[in-house]
Amino acid sequence: MKLTRREALALGGIAAAGALIGQSTAGANVPRRGGTLSLRLWDPPHFDLHAAGGLSYKLHIPMSFTHSRLVRHKAGPGVGPGTFQFEPDLAESWTQPNENTYVFRLRRGVKWHNKAPANGREFVADDVVYTINRFLTTKGHANAHMLKAVEKVEAVDKHTVKFTLNAPSAWFLDTLASPMVVAMVNKETSEKFGDLKKAESSIGTGPWMLDSYRPNQGMTLVRNPNYFLPGLPYIDRVDVFVDEDNASRIASFLAGKYDLGWEFPGQINRTDWVQIKDSLKQKRPNLKVAEFPANVMSHISMRTDQKPFSDVRVRRAISHAIDRQGIIDAVAEGVGVFNAAVPAALKDWAVPVKELGEGAKYFAHDPGEAKRLLTAAGYPNGFTANVCFTTYGSTLLIDSLQLVLKNLKDVGISAALDQKEYGAYITTCFYGNFPSMTYGPQTPFLEPDSFLYGQYYPDEPRNQSHINDPVLADMLVRQRRTFDAAKRKELVAEIQRYLAKQQYYVATNSGVYVAVWDGALQNYAPNLGYDYGGRLLAAWLQR
Amino acid sequence: MLRRYLAKRVLVALPSLLIASLVVFSLPRLIPGDAVQLMLAETAYAKDIDELRRKLGLDRPLYVQYVEWAGKALRGDLGESLWTKRPVLDEIGSRLPVTGELALYATMIAVLIALPVGVISAARQDTLQDYIARSAAILGLSVPGFWLATLVIVLPAVWWGWRPLTGFTEFAQDPWGHMSQFFLPSLILGIATAAALMRLTRGMLLEVLRQDYTRTAWAKGLAENRVVMKHALRNAVIPVVTLLGTQLPQIIGGTVIIETIFGLPGMSRFLFDAINQRDYPVIQGVNLVVVSAVILLNLTVDALYAVLDPRIRY
Repeated sequence: MKLTRREALALGGIAAAGALIGQSTAGANVPRRGGTLSLRLWDPPHFDLHAAGGLSYKLHIPMSFTHSRLVRHKAGPGVGPGTFQFEPDLAESWTQPNENTYVFRLRRGVKWHNKAPANGREFVADDVVYTINRFLTTKGHANAHMLKAVEKVEAVDKHTVKFTLNAPSAWFLDTLASPMVVAMVNKETSEKFGDLKKAESSIGTGPWMLDSYRPNQGMTLVRNPNYFLPGLPYIDRVDVFVDEDNASRIASFLAGKYDLGWEFPGQINRTDWVQIKDSLKQKRPNLKVAEFPANVMSHISMRTDQKPFSDVRVRRAISHAIDRQGIIDAVAEGVGVFNAAVPAALKDWAVPVKELGEGAKYFAHDPGEAKRLLTAAGYPNGFTANVCFTTYGSTLLIDSLQLVLKNLKDVGISAALDQKEYGAYITTCFYGNFPSMTYGPQTPFLEPDSFLYGQYYPDEPRNQSHINDPVLADMLVRQRRTFDAAKRKELVAEIQRYLAKQQYYVATNSGVYVAVWDGALQNYAPNLGYDYGGRLLAAWLQR
Repeated sequence: MLRRYLAKRVLVALPSLLIASLVVFSLPRLIPGDAVQLMLAETAYAKDIDELRRKLGLDRPLYVQYVEWAGKALRGDLGESLWTKRPVLDEIGSRLPVTGELALYATMIAVLIALPVGVISAARQDTLQDYIARSAAILGLSVPGFWLATLVIVLPAVWWGWRPLTGFTEFAQDPWGHMSQFFLPSLILGIATAAALMRLTRGMLLEVLRQDYTRTAWAKGLAENRVVMKHALRNAVIPVVTLLGTQLPQIIGGTVIIETIFGLPGMSRFLFDAINQRDYPVIQGVNLVVVSAVILLNLTVDALYAVLDPRIRY
């Protein structure tokens, strides 16, 4: 990976922020109960995690305040952005009697929110069984595939639940801990309302409770007095605002209305940050800042099952054609990171581009070498192609696509733009139904398996490039069955080195987030992912 | 006579409503991608898509869907949102007052600015006041509302760390807060209309002030105030009222962006989201209500003519 001066500064920023965080905790007062935290979030389509539309981050983020999972990711100043370690949530402990079985012992005395119809009933193993079955069987649930390894879930007793998997999965705990997967939902509530779409049906066991919901305006979350971790959370109330205009969000943040950056995950878009950072120094001098790479990664996918993309020389030529640093300079204020098959943001798992061995050279922008490879592959004059694309409403993405098309043109690949409406794109190109190429961002998972197995294993829905490589498939299965973390890490690295040579997808770059938060917010640290509630659970306000 | 005229206008409005209903029904369906594709955006299994489409009744011929929808609409049932499953009429009912209030205040502000300024400008033709008023009107017409709104929000925040209220306060909760939150959005929304009305008021008044009967009034020794306000203005404002009628749909259209910028939970924002989600019943319902409101407002404007000019009889 090339480290530009700006990247170096960005990483310096991370270190500086780390120092700041350290200071804030070392010098902070004792935790203080009370106060109101103010956030800009998004209007959820509804409140049912398992219904169509339930995969939206607009829903996952509020649910991270109100609902709990069996295990969760550690949060706080001691956790570096881009790293994820487990800790118990509703499960106090777990064992793995064999490769295909997990047994979770639940905390005793956990209560559902004290609202009808749950009325503070105790959370028990049957609730886990209900949730998992609902997760797997609700029609239109977009994330159901994430638990397809689950063959059976059963309540052993009131506080013990057993999962039987149909194949070993070393990533199973990661899946359960993901804030986009298994938040526990209440059976009586679902039965009373028919589904969980209404705001009144937002009943969980989480640290905050939904007090009021105002469609298109916001919501108010209040502290759950019966939360199972005594004394937590410290913050009494969270006011959420839906603010759909960027000028309004900038003004609100400058005026101190929001305590976290207004964009996901508590950051400010770099283009806005560059504009307002000097004003912020004056208006909000106690603001804290941390910069870390984003796990939103874009790539070019290709029909590797068809000519010309079935020829590895063509794919390598395309990789050489792409000016990754040029894209970073043009659309990301010069600050960004190069990605291999696992995004650089997942620090524990990603192999830096310069350490990819033989495959590292294909990440260099070298139009001459690209043309030579195309000639060797039998395309001395290049070829025509088309690129399926949707904007996701992002002007930055449109800009980067224009550069990709230009880079391809420079080496003789004349790629026509096939722009689709979002829904049409997702139902076709995102799942590999395209004739030539696509370009766009991928789901920002928090573990490498979804980026690897999900995108490279034959017949997986996200295998956009139609890859069927037995050598690779074997490695992908092996890493899933390797429970020793160090050995698995080596296997994941080996896969990335192999993929760098194959270039089944040509990964471009990720941005570097500028996470910001008010200095009054203590014991908080930003990270990737939707788990706002988890990151704020033990934070307090020192106003 | 007026009653017969209004009855006639209502009858004429019915075909307009019918055509409008056909347009609002068919146009959203011409946008690429449908609600089912968006709902199942990340599952993408053709079987699920077909099944959900069948469940929502979107697999039937368009004319069947239209007849069913129009029949229900006539009985006051605008259907349910495809996404939230809430009745569209309830959704509109909770949002219409916000948009209505915003449009009403914007209209009031436009009239309150336009008439006095237009009158002063005409009565003091080619003076400094006139030049200032005319320049301000040109500026008001030229500056887009969304840009003005952005400046009004961002600049005070950059200069003084202050920003206008966002979010929404119910009247019952805080009457003063409720009214004051509408001030800036209504002002911005009303400025362009005010500018257009002001220019027309000035032009019409100048024309009337040069007519014989006005000259006679001056010759009789009447005070300027009486000549302008009583004799001239009443005749000058009839075209202004006509223009106001045509400006109302523009004001309602302008609420979409202003509601978004100021975070007001009105109908326009709701419509914007519905279009993005291809929520056909919502798009159809909101548009039908808007079209009906515009037709009703135009009827009101027509009726106003009779009040303003006793010579007009139908």
